[in-house]
Amino acid sequence: MNSIEVKALTKKFGSFVSVDNISFSVKKGEIFGFLGANGAGKSTTIKMLCGMLEPTSGDALVGGYSIKKESDNVKKNIGYMSQRFSLYNDLSIIENIKFFAGVYGLEGELLKERINWVLKIANLEGKENILTASLPGGIKQRLALGTAVIHQPKIVFLDEPTSGVDPISRRSFWDLINDLSAQDITVFVTTHYLEEAEFCHNIILINAGKLIAEGNPKELKTKYLKKTILEIEATPVNNVIEILKKSQYTEDVSIFGNNIHAVMNCNYSEKEQVYSMLQHVQDISVERIDEIVPTLEDVFIHLLEKDGK
Amino acid sequence: MKTILHIIKKEFQQFRRDPKMFGIVLIAPIIQLLILGYAATLDVNSVHTVVYDMDKSYESRRFIERFKRSGYFIIDMYAENYEEVTEQLNNTSAIVAVVIPKEFEKKIQRKETVPLQAIYNGSDGNTAGIASGYVAKIISEFSKEIVLDFRERYGQKSSSVGMLTPEIRVWYNPELKTRNFMLPGIVGLLLSVITLILTSLAIVKEKEIGTLEQLIVTPIKPFQLIIGKLVPFVILGFIAVVMVITAMNLIFGIEVRGSSFFLFFASFLYILSTLGLGLFVSTISKTQQQAMMIAIFAILMPMVYLSGFAFPIENMPEVIQYVSYLIPLRYFITIIRGVILKGIGIEYLWMDTAALLGIGIIILTLSSLRFRKRLE
Amino acid sequence: MNFVRTKAIAKKEFKHLFRDIRMLLILLFFPVFLLGIFGYAVNFDVKNIKTTVYDSDRTELSRNFINALNSSGYFDITKFIDSDTEIRKILDKKDAQLVIVIPKNMSREFHSNKEAKIQYLIDGVDGNTANLIQNYVTAATSSYNNKLTLIKVSKTGSKFYTPIDYQPIFWFNPELKSTKFLIPGLIVMILIVTSAVSVSLSLVREKERGTIEQVDVSPVKSGELIIGKTTPYIVLALFNAIVILVVGYILFDVEVKGSYLLLFITTSIFLFASTSLGILVSVISDSQQVAFNISTMASLLPSVILSGFIFPIDSMPWAVQIFTNLTPAKFFIEILRAIVLKGVGLQAFYLQVIYLIIFATVFLGLANLINSRKGKTS
Repeated sequence: MNSIEVKALTKKFGSFVSVDNISFSVKKGEIFGFLGANGAGKSTTIKMLCGMLEPTSGDALVGGYSIKKESDNVKKNIGYMSQRFSLYNDLSIIENIKFFAGVYGLEGELLKERINWVLKIANLEGKENILTASLPGGIKQRLALGTAVIHQPKIVFLDEPTSGVDPISRRSFWDLINDLSAQDITVFVTTHYLEEAEFCHNIILINAGKLIAEGNPKELKTKYLKKTILEIEATPVNNVIEILKKSQYTEDVSIFGNNIHAVMNCNYSEKEQVYSMLQHVQDISVERIDEIVPTLEDVFIHLLEKDGK
Repeated sequence: MKTILHIIKKEFQQFRRDPKMFGIVLIAPIIQLLILGYAATLDVNSVHTVVYDMDKSYESRRFIERFKRSGYFIIDMYAENYEEVTEQLNNTSAIVAVVIPKEFEKKIQRKETVPLQAIYNGSDGNTAGIASGYVAKIISEFSKEIVLDFRERYGQKSSSVGMLTPEIRVWYNPELKTRNFMLPGIVGLLLSVITLILTSLAIVKEKEIGTLEQLIVTPIKPFQLIIGKLVPFVILGFIAVVMVITAMNLIFGIEVRGSSFFLFFASFLYILSTLGLGLFVSTISKTQQQAMMIAIFAILMPMVYLSGFAFPIENMPEVIQYVSYLIPLRYFITIIRGVILKGIGIEYLWMDTAALLGIGIIILTLSSLRFRKRLE
Repeated sequence: MNFVRTKAIAKKEFKHLFRDIRMLLILLFFPVFLLGIFGYAVNFDVKNIKTTVYDSDRTELSRNFINALNSSGYFDITKFIDSDTEIRKILDKKDAQLVIVIPKNMSREFHSNKEAKIQYLIDGVDGNTANLIQNYVTAATSSYNNKLTLIKVSKTGSKFYTPIDYQPIFWFNPELKSTKFLIPGLIVMILIVTSAVSVSLSLVREKERGTIEQVDVSPVKSGELIIGKTTPYIVLALFNAIVILVVGYILFDVEVKGSYLLLFITTSIFLFASTSLGILVSVISDSQQVAFNISTMASLLPSVILSGFIFPIDSMPWAVQIFTNLTPAKFFIEILRAIVLKGVGLQAFYLQVIYLIIFATVFLGLANLINSRKGKTS
């Protein structure tokens, strides 16, 4: 059974089309990655799915409820956490938790149990009365997530939950997401970090409001990028990129950490061709050239460039 | 209902954490009341005076003595010529120069009329006008004495001629203290500041830090959010009203002559419209700075100048009088002045009360609708 | 001091100013708007006093007297009543500010050479207006009385004696219009908003965004920075001052009687002082909100209430009078009134000018002190 079903969803602001007729579905209990560049329409889509914004046309069923006609029911069944830290800095931890629990109507035993649960996952047991403002970023994010799911929703929307958080906290945050998914909670997440996208069960990519790719990470890598990719380590990087871009073999060249990734075209047959081409240029020294399995980033850069053209 | 209580509780927890806010709400009104109460007075009680006595006689000194004894005049200097008089009026804070002509005494003795010049620095028209009234009064009393004196001396029958004399009674405020007029107005002004600015800031702040978005995805209904956010400010507003009225009584000795219950009821109606305006400001501003600018310049300033707080509405041009009908503070000030100073109640103030209620409901409804629309 | 660098900053600030059209419009139109609306609203001139008459005499004399009052232009007789029971209600409801009660035997008493009293009941809630009404009715009664007496006296041939003939002369503002007195205050208030408040906000904005540190590491000296940043606002404020004076002349007949040069110089000095206040505020505050609060509390509020703009300083208790010396607005209002209304020269206000210069120096010195101390501790 699908926990989110999006049908031809469109949102216009004046003449500007922010979300352009997109459709997809999200299975129950999966971690669903929603990717796209800044301004691609990610936040607008999430706001519509959470019942904050009314779609111009199309509809979506979230937890079985129409976002158009039953937004009140939608809100009862979802949790939401945005990129901005959205707890009250001037309240203590316990005051924040109790406030949101109260807003969702939790009472009695259940209330106690859920408060303890939130404190546990945020590692804040015994520190209930600390002012929220004084918490470090990573802990704040965990507290925000705990608070966002305090009412045990079936679906949780996370809008760039890890932006501005250090790598170690990010990793443990994703452990938390996996735990939620293991409890059959659907996690709908957007992120900037493509290595995080690898943790998702399914992914869609949007650009300029349009859906341009979907599938699980493995499928995406093979389905959308069938060409060979070379990872080249050579210096000076800028000269190498320029030469590669001009050469007859490449379709796409981009920097990847210290390396260069080149998507090859049909003129290409073996990596020695490239090696000898670079060797012949003065001042360039080539350390290594390897054929690699594309990363998600390769795929997305390729797709976005293609879409841009 | 429970949801609303949760929001109210949260607001109060936040107040407790913000000592500055507490300061604004609890201490600022008292300080403003003190400063305004002492400073905001149009009473003219120390008229700086120059005397140019050309006669220097017994009569002229007796006449000058009247000025000294009246309590309104402070004689800064005795001029010796007209140049000095001009110099003083031009360059100092002197408001009036009294010029006693030569032969002042002789003419009076000869039963002739003496022209007496009083030259005013008219640049402050209000003060000059009132000071002129004081001078006229001194002159008329002095003249009356002279006439009586003559009659006594020459044995004339009193009132050989019929006279019309004014008998003036000032109601509600016999000492004509402007403070009594200003202070009730200040209650209204302070109430607007607290409810209007703080409400709009509280909402825009949640917008700025992103918690408003978090609240919107919860099942809270817009009306619950609005009520939950507004109720704490209604309570704060009431605390401020009680404090300021108590302070007014203790410090300035102004008592509430009419019904306190009606006063609080009217305050409540007035708060409805200021909260509505605060809500409205929050829907059109993105940042706290914008909210403050709009609240102060577009709403509070016109309130100060056009509500009749300091400047009587009756004196304004007709067009601006019509504009003042749109300002809720106008009605509220009429009501508090009526209740506090005149001791009247709803039997005479029902029109203003109804206007306040009407405006309050309209503003609050429209703002709530706009706020709701913004949320969705 | 390097002129090129100062100019670069001033240029940048001008560009900021012109890019933010909304802010620019607020700064340019706000003054005219304020002057237009408030200039008409802000006045104490009492005319058309709403009057109710209870004439229980009903004689030719009483009717003539009422007609005389009516034609004086100050009284607007809206209602005649037949019994004194209504009086309370009329004053309570604010239906009238003045009730004139003419006693039953007024005419008879007067003609039998006795003193006939006319009662005036005044709504004293607004003490100032009541005071003026009191003066009007006294003057109106006595002038009517004199007229009657003269007629009577000339008939009987006996001599009527008034010992003193009061001749008031009003300089500078013969019609005693309060608007003329209040407009200099409005000008000062508007200038404070465009100078002190905007300067402090603009400096704090840089601080909030962290760009002021950027400038700190560049070779620009703080003096150059401050001059560069404040120049555009001073220019804008000067422009505002001109616009206000023109509008004041067109709408309210307030002409500048004194020297334009003097006006320009003193305005510049005042702007210098009020921008110094703005700079001081910006040094103290860390956020725009705090800056706004402080500058409202420190400059706007005092310049309305304690500057003598509306409320005469002489009437305040001495403790409050001391406080009034803390606001530069007080001194500039005195200067403006002297130049614009009286048309007098420097000898009338050189003390005030010196005060303003002292102000500016003290504010700037304090700002510098606090700034350098902050630099050391952080």
